[in-house]
Amino acid sequence: MSNVDTVTTDVLIIGGGPSGLASAIHLADSLKHKGLIQRILLIEKGGSIGSHILSGAVIKPEVFKELLPGVELSEIPFNAKVIKDSTVLLSKNGNITLPFHIPYMNNIGNYTASLGQICKYLAIKAAEKGVEIYTGFAVDEILYKDGKVIGAKTKDTGLDHHGNQLENFQPGTRIEAKITIFAEGTRGSLTKMLIKKFNLDKDKNEQVYSLGCKELWSVPQGNIEAGQIYHTMGYPLNNDEFGGGFIYGLNDNKVAVGLVVGLDYKDPSFDVHDAMQVWKTTSFVSKILKGGRLLEYGAKTLPEGGHYAIPKLYVDNALIIGDSAGFVTMPALKGIHLAIKSGMLAAKTAANALSNNDTSEKSLQQYETLVNNSMIHDDMYPVRNFRQGFAKGTIVGGFHFGTQLISGGAGFFGRLRSHADYQTTQKLSELKAKPFKERFKGKLEFDKVLTFDKATDIYHSGVYHDEQQVVHLHIKDQEKFNAINIEQYGAPEQFFCSSEVYELHINKDGKKELRIHAENCMHCKTCDIKSPGDGITWVVPNGGNGPDFQNM
Amino acid sequence: MALTIISLIKQVPVPSEMRMGEDGLMDRTKAKSIINIDCTFGLEAGLQLKKQNPESRLIVCSMGPGSFDVALRTAISMGYDEAYLLSDRKLGGSDTYATGLAIATMLKHLGFTKDSKDPYIILAGRQTSDGDTAHVPSQVAENIGIPQATFVESVKSDGTGNVIAKRIIEGGYQMMKLPMPCVISLTPTGIPPRKPTLSGAIKARNLKITTFGIDDIGLGTEKIGISGSPTIVAKVINIVSERPPITLSEGHNEASLVDSLIANLKKGGNVLVKKEAEAKKDTERPDFPEKDFRDGSSGILTWAEITNGNVSRPSLELLTPARNLATQLGVGTKVMTLMIGKNVQHLAQTLIEHGSDEVIIVEDDKFEEYLVLPFSSIFEQVIKVRKPEIALFAATTSGRELAPRIGMKTDSGVTADCTGLEIGEYVDKKEKVIYTPILESRRPTYGESKLATILGFVCPQISTARAGTFEVPKRVEGRQGIVSSVKPVLNDQDFVVEILKTVRGEGGLQNLFEADIIVSGGRGTTTDNLGLIKALAEALRSQGVNAEWSCSRPVVDEGVAEYARQVGQTGKTIRPKLYIAVGISGAIQHIAGMKEAEKIIAIDHNPKANIFHNADFGIIGEYQDILPELIDRVKAGFTFGIEPKKEV
Repeated sequence: MSNVDTVTTDVLIIGGGPSGLASAIHLADSLKHKGLIQRILLIEKGGSIGSHILSGAVIKPEVFKELLPGVELSEIPFNAKVIKDSTVLLSKNGNITLPFHIPYMNNIGNYTASLGQICKYLAIKAAEKGVEIYTGFAVDEILYKDGKVIGAKTKDTGLDHHGNQLENFQPGTRIEAKITIFAEGTRGSLTKMLIKKFNLDKDKNEQVYSLGCKELWSVPQGNIEAGQIYHTMGYPLNNDEFGGGFIYGLNDNKVAVGLVVGLDYKDPSFDVHDAMQVWKTTSFVSKILKGGRLLEYGAKTLPEGGHYAIPKLYVDNALIIGDSAGFVTMPALKGIHLAIKSGMLAAKTAANALSNNDTSEKSLQQYETLVNNSMIHDDMYPVRNFRQGFAKGTIVGGFHFGTQLISGGAGFFGRLRSHADYQTTQKLSELKAKPFKERFKGKLEFDKVLTFDKATDIYHSGVYHDEQQVVHLHIKDQEKFNAINIEQYGAPEQFFCSSEVYELHINKDGKKELRIHAENCMHCKTCDIKSPGDGITWVVPNGGNGPDFQNM
Repeated sequence: MALTIISLIKQVPVPSEMRMGEDGLMDRTKAKSIINIDCTFGLEAGLQLKKQNPESRLIVCSMGPGSFDVALRTAISMGYDEAYLLSDRKLGGSDTYATGLAIATMLKHLGFTKDSKDPYIILAGRQTSDGDTAHVPSQVAENIGIPQATFVESVKSDGTGNVIAKRIIEGGYQMMKLPMPCVISLTPTGIPPRKPTLSGAIKARNLKITTFGIDDIGLGTEKIGISGSPTIVAKVINIVSERPPITLSEGHNEASLVDSLIANLKKGGNVLVKKEAEAKKDTERPDFPEKDFRDGSSGILTWAEITNGNVSRPSLELLTPARNLATQLGVGTKVMTLMIGKNVQHLAQTLIEHGSDEVIIVEDDKFEEYLVLPFSSIFEQVIKVRKPEIALFAATTSGRELAPRIGMKTDSGVTADCTGLEIGEYVDKKEKVIYTPILESRRPTYGESKLATILGFVCPQISTARAGTFEVPKRVEGRQGIVSSVKPVLNDQDFVVEILKTVRGEGGLQNLFEADIIVSGGRGTTTDNLGLIKALAEALRSQGVNAEWSCSRPVVDEGVAEYARQVGQTGKTIRPKLYIAVGISGAIQHIAGMKEAEKIIAIDHNPKANIFHNADFGIIGEYQDILPELIDRVKAGFTFGIEPKKEV
């Protein structure tokens, strides 16, 4: 076979989400401003820009004015402007609308949006500015020289399940870059390697995540107003479980609904997707969806460890931005504006580094300084202890949050630590509470009108994976996995997975085996986060594989 | 003398995304476009040839709107070097004849003619998912005047200027040797297309695609576009298909579960309903003059295909519509059958007894196996003399390449894969004239969701008929007819393609397409190497049912079954009367491959399995328990309500 092709660029951006695209746009602008002509390459694993993007979303628009000076907000494809924002406390039998807003959660004046559509728009802007965008390519290896990052390589294709080369084998392309910007989004698979190699999370809190499952519906006129948004607390979650629901009224009688649950829950049989279906059956949610139909389904995790979980953001020749860096502010679960801002700050840093011809760690340290002096810090620092405060449940969490509000974020206990999410799952033998299936007995029969099983939902995600490739979900140690995940925990993968990738197969002799239907994978990364014993590693499958979100 | 490899591709809407809109019409606007799946196998075949001939030049060509640019660039990103697009509004509405003509004209313009000094090979997909005709490769070959092999699974160059192609035929395959230049069309069963590389994508981004209009290549408007095409789509109606919810078997053990299944099957109810939506009533027949465009052509010519020394069943089936059309056309309309082969004289009486009025025989030892070049030439000569108004072919792998090659010679175009053939009339409101009588060829299209009526205005009006659609006409012992023979004029050029080997055996892809019952095993059935799956299919066969076995993708991955047995790979769809899915979870790709089955029975131990959402009848249980019970019932005569086929 031919030798591996190499392409060279000045800047390589891995990931075409809001942070990567903002970085590309601002970098192109900054370089132009400096009179420099440099090549910017942006690589996205999704088949098209936006196809792997999923968010609520309610967006704070101000940052777009910074990113795209001279562009009117009306030109950006936001959805409805938020006109009513309510928080609702759900219980099993009813609901109460809270007469006040949880601090940091008022959204009047913000915009609802399909983040995927926003990204498509940003990609057009970036391309206009000369950024080369290539979609459908998976990058699975960081290139190093003398211990320093010098770029990345796209995945080899044409391999069978065992990794043997088939007749249509194609080696990946080496991309050598002066600066590589990691913008992979939540739980980036390369970012994870980078953090590990350079120990970037030293002395930091463990990053913790939530999983959000989302459905987009078309509903009859009058069910909900465009720009009317609700956040729900309480049912079906209990005090041990952090999270809540969202209902965003969109233009053209569409509505985005979803449930976001902290992955530090204890019950190994907890199922966020199914919990969301139960949530939809509450009278409050079901009346909004009544008479409507499901358009799309998707799921994604989001990092919510906050300030203390942000890794070191730079090494020689490389920067980390957006969700990969953990820029999400709680309790509003807002990260889009921070992702864009971080992309811009990284761009500014990179532009300076390129013009000084110095891309060393020392030069790129400017990025951290810029972040610390920006609204990213202003947004995240006051709530630096928010999420950890909820580790012991919502009542204790509420207390912590209260003290944090008084003390400017410190609370009465200083920095609160966090545990990795997979460590909080209880063994079957330890679980005292009712397991998920008993807890929602009678509510898990899905009627395919209001509620859907995973198989039906994932059909509405457009998910596709090439059949010929190495399964992209790696069980690190099969024996250990069987002994711990299956025997002690009852294979939580089969429940937490948002898209029915994992099936616990029990043959007639009672032999148990975890089967992997990788073709269903939504790229939410929950398995990489929540498998007991850190048992599963998510690696990127072939480029263009995964969901095909249209308006998520 | 470097080799040039030319790939012809078409951009089509993603078949799985072609959803039915609320108005019952196929919504193509929302579907994304891709390179037609079969064409991507052609692209890969070209890249494989390049591996063998590293000096060769890779060219990709297409015809269509400017948006086809995307498909061409994808080909470049896979490794092609140059791209050409024939794009002209005047080509809009072209039928396959006009398309073949236009593409061939572009290739000739690029210097690829019959007499080119440098060797070249033209690769194409077998057929497109939106047209489904498989005509264009044959028509391009005929128009340039070079040999062809269609339905090819793999192609290699032999190092001496020839190519060796493995051609799929009913129940087996043929190894053929073709000289270059030639046209090869690829089935989606060969080497799957490679993924683009980033370096390729960068090259594609910067490449200039050469775009031609018809004037650039010297193509006139007489024979292209809507007005120039010999055939038109006169009418399209929707076929509504809907699968009602599953009926699950009830019972406490395998025996009662199977009893319950049999009872449910008897009740029926759950059958894929295909309704032909009511066609809007035509306004009154206007008072235009009638026009008989046949110009003296008369009679119906059919082809009797010989396989294993016998007339193939689909060729006998053809006599049903042929006789029917002859009756509709009125007294004096003759059904003629052309039979080409080695020692076939004795088969003539069979054809006559099934409905032929005259059997025209061409006998030669060289014709033991079908060969497209001499056969199409013989047809051309017979048509010239006999002047039939209609020519019918069974839509077999041979019929589907022979008919379009002939249609190019006679300038009459072809309608592919018909399920209905009737005589009607066509009211031309523009010309204010009524064409009558005219052959109405009806064919399902757009993934069986529509039924299109195609008309041809040049005689002979040529159609191929889908195998299995028409019954074999009743044999009338002692029916009288004429047996004549013809000595055609053939030259060496008609025999440049050599058949190296013909293998017809058990199993294989084609049988899967024709089986009435397909028993399919998934990952859950590999513990006994599909033993029970095969046993159930075998038991059905011993009852005289045309049954086959297949499997889902993981089974092939595990090496338990060969690829040709796999259902659900992109591009492979089967439509048996009954599909029995055993131990198949129902991944989306698999469902897409079998959902067109008339009836589906699912057997799986996992009640949550997606397959149950896509089946009519279901049993929840272990296959090791259920299948032996089912096999016993089949041995006792139960055939799932499918009539055993009687040998012809």
